[in-house]
Amino acid sequence: MSVLVQPLPEVNPLQDSLRFARRVPPCAIVIFGASGDLSKRKLLPSLYRLFYERRISQNFAVIGSSRTPMSDEQFREKMRESVSRFLEDAPFDEDVWKSFAQCLFYVAGDLSEDASYDRLKTKLDEVEKSHQTAGNVVFYLSTQPSYYAEAIKKLGAHQLQKGNGWRRVIIEKPFGHDLASARKLNEDIHTVLDESDVYRIDHYLGKETVQNILAFRFGNGIFEPLWNRRYVDNVQITAAESIGVEGRGAYYQEAGALRDMIQNHLSQVMATVAMEPPTVFDAVNVRDERAKLLRAVRVVKPDDVAKYAVAGQYGPANVGGQDLPGFRQEPSVDPNAQTDTYAAVTFFIDNWRWADVPFYIRTGKRMPKRVTDIAIQFNAPPLGLFSQETKGGLREARPNLLVLRIQPEEGISLRFLSKSPGSGMRVRPVSMDFNYGSSFGERTPTAYETLLVDAMAGDATLYTRQDMVDASWQIVQPILDVWGNSKFDFPNYAAGTWGPKESDEMLARQGHVWRVP
Amino acid sequence: MSSTIIFPAQPEQILKGLGKLWTSLGEEEKHQGKPTVLRACAMTLIVATDEPDAGFAASQTISELMHEHPARGIVLAVSPDAENDLQARVLAQCWKPFGKAQQICCEQIEITAKPGSWQNAAPTLAGLTAADLPVIFWCRHQGAIKKDAAAADQAGLEAIAKLATKVIVDTAGMASPDGIALLTKWRGEGKVIADLEWTRLTPWREPLAHIFDDAKRENTFAHFDSLEIEHTEEKPPMQALYMAGWLSAPYKAKVTFRRASGYGPGIQRVSFRSEEESIEFERTSADCVTLWSSAGRERKYSFGRPSLTTLMTEELAVAGYDPAFNLALDRACELLA
Repeated sequence: MSVLVQPLPEVNPLQDSLRFARRVPPCAIVIFGASGDLSKRKLLPSLYRLFYERRISQNFAVIGSSRTPMSDEQFREKMRESVSRFLEDAPFDEDVWKSFAQCLFYVAGDLSEDASYDRLKTKLDEVEKSHQTAGNVVFYLSTQPSYYAEAIKKLGAHQLQKGNGWRRVIIEKPFGHDLASARKLNEDIHTVLDESDVYRIDHYLGKETVQNILAFRFGNGIFEPLWNRRYVDNVQITAAESIGVEGRGAYYQEAGALRDMIQNHLSQVMATVAMEPPTVFDAVNVRDERAKLLRAVRVVKPDDVAKYAVAGQYGPANVGGQDLPGFRQEPSVDPNAQTDTYAAVTFFIDNWRWADVPFYIRTGKRMPKRVTDIAIQFNAPPLGLFSQETKGGLREARPNLLVLRIQPEEGISLRFLSKSPGSGMRVRPVSMDFNYGSSFGERTPTAYETLLVDAMAGDATLYTRQDMVDASWQIVQPILDVWGNSKFDFPNYAAGTWGPKESDEMLARQGHVWRVP
Repeated sequence: MSSTIIFPAQPEQILKGLGKLWTSLGEEEKHQGKPTVLRACAMTLIVATDEPDAGFAASQTISELMHEHPARGIVLAVSPDAENDLQARVLAQCWKPFGKAQQICCEQIEITAKPGSWQNAAPTLAGLTAADLPVIFWCRHQGAIKKDAAAADQAGLEAIAKLATKVIVDTAGMASPDGIALLTKWRGEGKVIADLEWTRLTPWREPLAHIFDDAKRENTFAHFDSLEIEHTEEKPPMQALYMAGWLSAPYKAKVTFRRASGYGPGIQRVSFRSEEESIEFERTSADCVTLWSSAGRERKYSFGRPSLTTLMTEELAVAGYDPAFNLALDRACELLA
């Protein structure tokens, strides 16, 4: 399929890359599901913020679409409320809003009705002229996942996938419910769109600190030589939430922690931590390396699932004087639900760099605190010369630990041993910290701001590609299959704890323990 | 937390004072049994000032800058009230980010000098720069950069500037010929220079540049051969010259300056015209700039007068040679001539 691409002028003599934000071409953004939560809380506030900071083109328009009948003016007023309410770390400026509001339009319609797409086409033609958007369009599917395939087919049927400029489609997660449905969705999409026009969003990859992993690994000379099986003992990736399902019980009951977090966000984080250096830092090469890494992850055999994966579900507990319900007591949740609110998996990456190094990934709800980090535990020195503890008559050494903190206190810390002041050789672990906020105090863009600008600029580096999605489904599918046919004795961990004991046992079998983040 | 006065202001004594400061901050950690203080430093920032507040405003700005550009800050304040020729005090600028448990602390050294002594400060400063990190010199000593500055002041300034990887001045309020002369002289000596009057233009320049990112305007920039800049001062200030220099550098458009009333000092309106279109960018209120195009577009931008902290924050993020600034300065020299 060929798409007419209108690139930015190659030379704009006024550009100043040292001081100006990245150049973004003119375009219109069509948001399907515009009256939904994601639009209100994330997309419109992010677009307003980008507009306020002049990070998007002056020739820009947003066309919201959903079933609710609304005029342009009503849509603007509704979005004004949302933006002023959900704007983070930024002022709401009336003058700027007035200009921004002039770029907002609305087309009411049902995604399954042909007439909706005709109206959308008419509106796109109008804004192309009035807002000089050069025929470039980003379609953002912020709808229920079950509508993705149909919406894309209809875009194709109404010739909206091509026009005077480029056309791109952003798709929110979840991308499929399992491997088979993900593959089917990909097939449906590719009947209409080139893979290069598909932007599958994984907002974890848009987080500054996840991007910083690449800068940390490949921008410095001292870490990469240690980044392999010769020096690394194990890697632990933790994504813990202190909250429960917060009113999303019905959705979560169907998804579960493995599907909701590990299949997408955390497997992509693992790929970022473990991938080989790309030859060039661009979308093709970075995504090639991520995909290659995911394909190298050993697919666990059904008989081994119990050995390498642990499911958990929180039960009720009193935390800090407050009674917290168990998952089965949450609203809209089946009292006998077999849903995993906690999942821990041991992955092995069968490549030259990582053979036999366990990558432990865990995620859960109602854990003691909200934290996402990656801990690289290095091999201990061969002899614990300075250690006080003994184990089996041997001195035990404390290994170095490099922690990449994604949230909430973004940064990097390295743990090493240091001599305590005074006579005698007493040592204790100390931490060398880099705090993202202290070195770059400026406001960091939200993941959605980053990803929206990237899509408009045609940079898919931080978006997932078909083969990456496929590979990440492949590594979790056997676990999902086995768990789907099992009956667990849930709940097996209390709210406010670090998960079930089986998870500790899984690491103990490899001679490791979970660290406390 | 700060030290007592250190006199004489020998680098070794000052560094010892800093060492004691960190030890005392570490005491708190010992009691709490966990890290409570994070030391941050990405550069040495030297500020020389002859403002009558004995460096108070400079210290205040440095403490604000630390949040985004953690540095070892050194304020060299020239004050007739100084007790000694050169005396120093060390302190830690600490803040706790919202919701975080750990304080972030940067070192600050305040050196007070008598008017006849500050010229000898360079050797002290040389011993105080943080190892292996850039040294930025922000010169707020207006007496030393003015056209008829005393030779001793000029020599003192030169000596400090030699320590720096980048020198930042602010030519706001200077006559344009004097500002141009100062900057071209320093640049001729091979220094990386910056002028906050140029930095003040970024909120103007960025939207103007965006206009030509539109594919339909590809290669139309050269068509805009007439450029008019309105300013509120009697003669074109440095800011107007920079704007003219920047816009006209690529294609040498015909430039006209005009005095007009408006909001605050500096540029009030920029308009450029071609046979097909005219574009105007004008301050329409104290905190708003409006872009008009004869093609029918209008867009408003928020436009607050940037604080010194905002300007310095931007300038400190530009580490080395700034090609756009230097090109604009070259062209401004030609326009002035």
